[in-house]
Amino acid sequence: MDAYVDGDETAFRLLFERYAPILLRLTRRHLRDDELAEEIVQQTFFRLHGARNDFRRGSKLRPWVMTIAMNLVREHWRRTKRRKMTSLEVETQAAPEADFMPLELRQRSELLHVALDKLPTSQREVVELHWFQERPYAEVAQIVGTSEGAVRVRAHRAYSTLKQLLVLEIRGDE
Amino acid sequence: MTSGSNRPEPALGERLRELEAPETPGSTERMDQMFSKVKTECDQSDRSLSGFLRSRSTATRRMLVLSVFATLALVGWFAFPLVGDQARTIQWAVSLVSFCVLILLAMFMVTRPVHLPALPRWQSLCLVCIALGATVVAALWPHPAAQAATHEHVGNVMAGACMGVGLLLGVPVYALLRLVDRGNAFGSLVAAAAAGVAGNFVLKAHCAVPGTSHELLGHASVAVLFVVGLGLVHRFVGAK
Repeated sequence: MDAYVDGDETAFRLLFERYAPILLRLTRRHLRDDELAEEIVQQTFFRLHGARNDFRRGSKLRPWVMTIAMNLVREHWRRTKRRKMTSLEVETQAAPEADFMPLELRQRSELLHVALDKLPTSQREVVELHWFQERPYAEVAQIVGTSEGAVRVRAHRAYSTLKQLLVLEIRGDE
Repeated sequence: MTSGSNRPEPALGERLRELEAPETPGSTERMDQMFSKVKTECDQSDRSLSGFLRSRSTATRRMLVLSVFATLALVGWFAFPLVGDQARTIQWAVSLVSFCVLILLAMFMVTRPVHLPALPRWQSLCLVCIALGATVVAALWPHPAAQAATHEHVGNVMAGACMGVGLLLGVPVYALLRLVDRGNAFGSLVAAAAAGVAGNFVLKAHCAVPGTSHELLGHASVAVLFVVGLGLVHRFVGAK
């Protein structure tokens, strides 16, 4: 990132190659729409480009790009109010990875998506960043803009709710 | 997995792991296309004035906005006559200071760096409501009797002129704030409120026409028109 701030054009490409796949996975899981996810990732890099002069040398870039992406995702939900419609859409809209999954796994995946969609946005963000992106609580707190304690509480609540929602299925597996 | 006690139980963890999808085929080509699109957008942005201003550091953007505001305020203050001595009351001074604080708050909100978590919506909406409320309260504040006796008959006639001046003065404020806004949520609405308050600041400082109806029609309406007109129109047009 330091090289990019200094005007190295190839550094931007390297940053994109490194972080775009991570962001794409994050936004796909949140939005369940490939095109939209790609658009959000592009917007994230566009904003990163605009904000590059705010970058403090030596600091971590990952929380930066993730915060920008999460802000864009939140903004998207706010604009479209789509979260309320997700449960209706889920029957008609396939998950991004659905084409490559066997039928049973696809159904299980959709159930899990529905369960995740039922979580409040604040809790879902924490699950996304802590579980899927494997970020420590301190970094998650930095990204979502709250304290580490609050993030831990959200995570605990989210995992408890998910467990309740999937309780029958999980018991069946056991 | 990261350390921490608030982790899902193993069975739930297994289920969550199923959503960790593999890379889709052809993703390298898609990534190349995405990058070219981003690069083109960035290059276009770098060539524009707004792109240039938005890519300055937050400190620079804030200094720029403050400098422009301060210059405009100083020029206006000394180049045009202020209201008469009898109108310079404590309420008048409080109104001006409140308007300044609101403009500063709006400026901080609009220039907020995008790598920080976005402010909650209610904060922006609160600022807009307070800004509108402040202009109305300032208009409703009773005028000193000595001032009220003057210009009494021309109050409503002059309201249109004041509104025009207020709107005209607010436009550069709105434009400047939009130019340095990197895309914060409700940025247009907050900038519109700031423009309306800036117009009210100038009118409050210089307009000698007393009367509640004059101030409501000619001064407070500026903020309302900005918020309803520019803010909402830009927001809905921009969303499409």
